[in-house]
Amino acid sequence: MILETKGLGKSFGRFAANADIDFSVAQGELRAVIGPNGAGKTTFFNMLSGTTEATSGTIFFKGNDVTKLSGTRRVHIGIAKAFQTANIYPEQTVRQNCRLAALAHKQGAFALEIVRRSERLADVDTLAERAIEQLELTNVADVRSGDLAHGDKKRLDIAIALATQPEILLLDEPVAGMSRDEARKTEALVRKLASSMTVLIIEHDMDLIMGISDSITVLESGRVLANGTPAEIRANQRVQDAYLGGHSEAEMGA
Amino acid sequence: MRVALLTLIGLALFPFFFHAIDGYAGLATQIVIVSIASIGFNFLLGYTGLLSYGHAMFYGSGGYVAALMLIRVMPQHPNLWLAVIGGTLAATALALLVGALAVRLYGIYFALLTLAFAQMIFFVVEQSQDWTNGDDGLQNFPTALLPVGPYTIDLGTPLPALALGPFGNLSDIKLWYVFAAVALLGVILGMRALTRSQFGEVLTAIRENEERSSLIGFNAAAYRLAAFAISGALTGLSGALRALYDGTVAVDAVGIDRSGSFVIYTIVGGVQTLFGPVIGTGLIMYLEAVLSAQISYWRLIEGVIFVAVIIFLPAGIVGTLTRKAAERARQRRALLAESLRARTGGPT
Amino acid sequence: MVALTQALLNGLVLGLIYVAIAVGLTIVFGTLRLVNFAHGAFYAIGAYIGLVVAQNWGLGPALLAAPIGVALFAVLLDRVLLRPFYGKDVTSQILVTFGIALIVEETLRLIFGATTQQYPALAGLATSVSLGPFVYPAYRLLFAAGVIVMLVLVWLFMEKTDYGLIVRAGVRDRTMVQLLGGNIRQASTIVFALGAAIAGLVGAAASPIYSIAPGTGFAFLVPSFVVVVVGGLGSFWGAVLGGLLIGELQSLTTLAFAPAANVIIYLCMALVLLLRPQGLLGESEVIRQ
Repeated sequence: MILETKGLGKSFGRFAANADIDFSVAQGELRAVIGPNGAGKTTFFNMLSGTTEATSGTIFFKGNDVTKLSGTRRVHIGIAKAFQTANIYPEQTVRQNCRLAALAHKQGAFALEIVRRSERLADVDTLAERAIEQLELTNVADVRSGDLAHGDKKRLDIAIALATQPEILLLDEPVAGMSRDEARKTEALVRKLASSMTVLIIEHDMDLIMGISDSITVLESGRVLANGTPAEIRANQRVQDAYLGGHSEAEMGA
Repeated sequence: MRVALLTLIGLALFPFFFHAIDGYAGLATQIVIVSIASIGFNFLLGYTGLLSYGHAMFYGSGGYVAALMLIRVMPQHPNLWLAVIGGTLAATALALLVGALAVRLYGIYFALLTLAFAQMIFFVVEQSQDWTNGDDGLQNFPTALLPVGPYTIDLGTPLPALALGPFGNLSDIKLWYVFAAVALLGVILGMRALTRSQFGEVLTAIRENEERSSLIGFNAAAYRLAAFAISGALTGLSGALRALYDGTVAVDAVGIDRSGSFVIYTIVGGVQTLFGPVIGTGLIMYLEAVLSAQISYWRLIEGVIFVAVIIFLPAGIVGTLTRKAAERARQRRALLAESLRARTGGPT
Repeated sequence: MVALTQALLNGLVLGLIYVAIAVGLTIVFGTLRLVNFAHGAFYAIGAYIGLVVAQNWGLGPALLAAPIGVALFAVLLDRVLLRPFYGKDVTSQILVTFGIALIVEETLRLIFGATTQQYPALAGLATSVSLGPFVYPAYRLLFAAGVIVMLVLVWLFMEKTDYGLIVRAGVRDRTMVQLLGGNIRQASTIVFALGAAIAGLVGAAASPIYSIAPGTGFAFLVPSFVVVVVGGLGSFWGAVLGGLLIGELQSLTTLAFAPAANVIIYLCMALVLLLRPQGLLGESEVIRQ
């Protein structure tokens, strides 16, 4: 189990966004996290990435307790996140965006290099190029990222996370807002990524999820509702009730 | 290389400009010295995005510590190097202390915290009669001498006499100016290297998108602290040099007006530019010196210039000129490409 | 004992001045998201308008003219200069309002001179009231009462009127209020003018006690920022609590150990910023990493 949580919860005052989440994912899995709106998926991811501090429970990464670790430190141990709304450096080119992430990986959280330039670090360019290729952004590599189309921006966000050489990649709705074709293309890229690392995805697109996931976790009202393979989840009545108010399995995109 | 040459020429010609308008030679030295502080301030505001309303605490502490070192520590052998280094180190230590507390805060809270510390130091300095002589300040301290190899130089010595027609005489300029000019040149070149360095690259990234920078693994607070310390060090260096040059340092060096002046010089000159702070300091300090002698309301004019720049020229004087030049260069290149295509009959 | 009570009363008077200025600052920030470094200018302008009117027609008309004059100035400022800066990044706001404060201060210096001016003698109000074992100036007590009444009125405005409602809702969610049809533009201008008028009124009312010089506005503004930070940016009661606290702190420290009087309020602000940056009664916004 590369990542595990026990009793993980997040409360805002009296409102519990997440509660009692026992979660585990094995190395190399592609796990989808789904659930109706307000189920607490993004808050859960934010706790995993360190963006939000958990109010209860523990998170284990490769057996170590990382619950109190800051988001910045988590990137360095191998947990990277791509945002729901593409979070990039709009003034810089795609290549520069990825280089920054690679630089962070290479130099660590802080380096007082006040004279030498980052160009001397050859690996940085290599890592950045690899991320660009893996997300098929080569033809826009020198475009100012603020000028990119929405879909490209989302893929850039993933490339940035990738350039930090993570062991676990958290993707929060990676194809949201993309056209059908773009979503298919991105889906294929994500599946390829999953062959070399563990990937967690939050998604609403049922076809996508059923097609690429190894396993699925369903959240509802902040808690885990069910875990299982795509087939198992599709057949799960409680999941159907939660999502669709008891509609037939055919409507779930079998 | 171009920058170094440009600066060198500019600095060499600078003091003579003053003589042409009736001799403010000392002012030239002061402008050069204060420019170092403005560059330090600009590094924090322009490249890190932090507005400090208390930078006078670094300027003043640099000045006071340098003066105190001369008065109390080495009155028999006043060594300028040690005094300057002492002042700069004191300011850097203060910056690290205040910075450690302040860099976790944002925007207005950061500005107010730096203001709070500066005010605290102001009042403490004002009240510490024994150490700082309160409102009157420290005066008449021993002239600092500069040991260089086998020689000991008194920076008050004028340059050898050489008549220069309408621009007066070379001996109008003291060695102090040369020393300060060399220091400024060093700071400018250093700042240029810094902004292009790996450190500067990360700082720019943090300023552009802090959230993303944190989540790719950069420790934003650490970078801000380092930037704050560098900024404080430069400002302290400037304060130390100024105190030693003037031969006096008083509470106004740590006052809120002094903090405000750095803001004005930098904004008018151009935030985020290399030469902006220098130009801004020169322009405003010159106006202060010249106008204050003739008009009683020169500070009003200063305020109007400041507000006008913020509203109409937010990139400052140098920033706007740079932008216009870049724009014209781009247009020229486009026209050139266009005409080339037309001549060779290539695709349009 | 006597000295202590006098110090407490002085602290109350001083504190109420801070409260009045801080309330203006905090509601303007809360609604317009504008950090106004020129707020002290409102105090100063009010004080000088009051001075001129009081010299010719007495204090009563002065207390009427000052807030009206300052409110008009504030509306002018809003229309001509400040509109583009609402909601902009804090640095730009601080810079432009700082510039305006500078211009106002220097203009006042140009018109009225740099020396401290005294208000004309207060006919009938210059007496002292006997409070047990000591006497205390009657005007100061009247002033304190007046400011309290004014604060109550402001509070009622904020809590009970439609404008106040729009303003308070706007603190929470500006966009939503606009979408719901609330005329936030108009309400914002009114709030800005109100905040300014309060400062102007207090400027005129407090000057018989403290006198006025071109720099007095800014001199009161900086501690008022301390108050706002301590009380909580955006909180009305925070401004009240913070103002009284800081006023008393300053006054009592002056009694106990005068040199520390100024230092201690900044120490207080530094402590609050480090331990509880949202202030005593403020909402926990994203203030720190």
